[in-house]
Amino acid sequence: MMAGLFFILLALTATGCFQAGEVTDHGTIILVFKHGKLSGDERVLPNLLREFERRHPGVVVREELLPASSDQQHQYYAMNLDGGRAPFDLLGIDTIWAQEFAKAGWIAPLDGLLAPAEQEEFFRGPIEAATFNGRLYAVPWYVDAGVLYYRRDLLDRHGLEPPRTWLELVRAAKVVLEAEPTSALTGFVWQGKQYEGLMCVTLEVLRSNGTDLWSGDRDRAEQGLRFLRETIATHRITPLSTSMADEESTRWIFGEGHALFMRNWPYAWSLLQQEGSPVRGKVGVVSLPAFSGFSSAPVLGGWMLAIPNSSTHQEVVGELIRFLTSPDSQRKVAVELGYNPVRRALYADESLLEVRPLLKDLQPILLEARPRPITPYYLLISQAVQPEVSAVVVGRKSPREALDTIKRRVDQIVGEQRVTAVMER
Amino acid sequence: MIRLSERAWGYVFAGPAFVLVSLIALAPIAAALWLSLRQQLPIFGIDEFVGLGNYLQLWGDDRFWAACRTTLYFTTLSVSAELLLGFGFALLLNHLSDGAGKGLRWAHVMIILPWAIPTVVSAQIWAWLYQPDYGLLNYLLVVAGLTEGAIDWLADPDWAIHAAVVMDVWKTTPFAALLLLAGLKTVPQELYAAARVDGAGAWEQFRRITLPMLMPVVVIVLVFRTMDAVRVFDAVFVLTGGGPGNSTETLSIYAYKTLFQTLQFGYGSALATAMFVLAALLSMLYLALLRRHVQGSA
Repeated sequence: MMAGLFFILLALTATGCFQAGEVTDHGTIILVFKHGKLSGDERVLPNLLREFERRHPGVVVREELLPASSDQQHQYYAMNLDGGRAPFDLLGIDTIWAQEFAKAGWIAPLDGLLAPAEQEEFFRGPIEAATFNGRLYAVPWYVDAGVLYYRRDLLDRHGLEPPRTWLELVRAAKVVLEAEPTSALTGFVWQGKQYEGLMCVTLEVLRSNGTDLWSGDRDRAEQGLRFLRETIATHRITPLSTSMADEESTRWIFGEGHALFMRNWPYAWSLLQQEGSPVRGKVGVVSLPAFSGFSSAPVLGGWMLAIPNSSTHQEVVGELIRFLTSPDSQRKVAVELGYNPVRRALYADESLLEVRPLLKDLQPILLEARPRPITPYYLLISQAVQPEVSAVVVGRKSPREALDTIKRRVDQIVGEQRVTAVMER
Repeated sequence: MIRLSERAWGYVFAGPAFVLVSLIALAPIAAALWLSLRQQLPIFGIDEFVGLGNYLQLWGDDRFWAACRTTLYFTTLSVSAELLLGFGFALLLNHLSDGAGKGLRWAHVMIILPWAIPTVVSAQIWAWLYQPDYGLLNYLLVVAGLTEGAIDWLADPDWAIHAAVVMDVWKTTPFAALLLLAGLKTVPQELYAAARVDGAGAWEQFRRITLPMLMPVVVIVLVFRTMDAVRVFDAVFVLTGGGPGNSTETLSIYAYKTLFQTLQFGYGSALATAMFVLAALLSMLYLALLRRHVQGSA
């Protein structure tokens, strides 16, 4: 009995525990690549990795998938990187984690990998989000930005243009909703649940009014927050359920043909256009509206590649990052999976645009997309902001009250930063 | 041969089990306690001993007290509903099995089913049921004429926590019912026979025999369910994520966000410890009640 247990344990140790950056007896280097699952064809990324292995004899890349939820990925990384001996050599991170991970000393600086001139070839937003204290800590892998989806057929039927301002959006929604009283149609759906998605929407609305959450003109910030509430309470173009909606539930409503406008990420496009979708061929994508006098302010999303400080194969992993972010690999992933490339030149690539015409619409949006506040304390701040905005959305708090609380919380967090800065000196 | 008293040998034999339990259960608790006495914020580069600093901060933290209130509210409502409904189902099942027994197996399966579904899955199912535009619940209410328009159960800060309670009750009443049913089976039938001879009615039998005999099981159900309810996470997190406006944020959701989303390891551990203390206090209360009951009946 004991002997049996012993052998089971032995077998588990032998097979279960690969060390990151392991070198086997034959001198093969094993690199562990942790990332969230990519949607679409599951062979695309492995094929790329096999290609890399062919070019680098003696290197084997083991892909290890994390759950799709970015919260769970963050939790996994935090727990494993904090020990200083991460069981992986390459990791895929959300744009909003780069500062935090860099500040914590978990990931290695990579400016040797991308010369400033080459950084120019990428979109500016993600490079900014990956730069901490003047050094690059992650290389953008693919990008996203908030966009406005609209029902082309419904706007056409009522002689309307896609809205450029929030006011136009409200008017268009009211016109269509009044003219189509029989259908279970709603005007504008967005992500209003108390989570990161709400943070994105809020930043987009406030920044498109020339202000921000805790800096800039307070009256315009108040106007922005009030607008979110009013879409539900006053204009009645947004269902109350939006205050519990995330990306998928809004895509579902819009995808069933029950909404005129939707704020979402570009991933929804191919799902809305697929065979059997009720709105196939009836959907358009434009820049998010702004308040009059200001310009659209989509929030930047997307993922990056980084190397844990503890990896013993920084150089080979660097090669792998260069390979995955090379124009060729980027084109392949864009064609076969529909992920948006980080290199600007690809958006002028005719052969790519032929397969992915959406990229043409996305290019100006991605160019103007701005990162969420670039600070290592972003997640702390976002956690402090979410409940406040959520309370405004459901009518529990006035915009002014929420903004005051947000300002106070952020000052506390940043105040702590000042204290540490003093202590570090 | 070493000569040891029987008592000493007892310790020797219990030793390995004790070591194993300490490693598995006590070590993580001790580690969390230790962590809660430290200020550990990797992104601030802080890792230092602060004694009770985190607990002092906890004392002045409105969000903590709000989470405590939400947790206790959720616990009180869900546990009492589960106990009452569970008791009802247990009596019903017991009655069925006393009778012809037809359809008994079917009834058992029906009643146990919700408990067998993973919480995350059932929370997702309920999220769909609650959906205001195409959810079944609103459809039924409107058809039955009970409400005029659709109610948005999850988005309305007053309804949201109750929606979570209903889901939790649906899911865990079977657990209470099963335990209580097992308890009912152990009540000697002679007691009822004797009571009938003495002329006791059904209510009298229930009050004087069933209830007192079942008290220990009731306390066990209460302890188990209270522990679970105080720690409730997935049911609420999947339904609402703690929103809207933190109106459904329980202690474990707050601790989760503090620990894993904002990486305040020390403060998060203090929150987890507070939850542990709350659960421990409540179960001690129950045990004290049980002891008094046992002494009272002795």
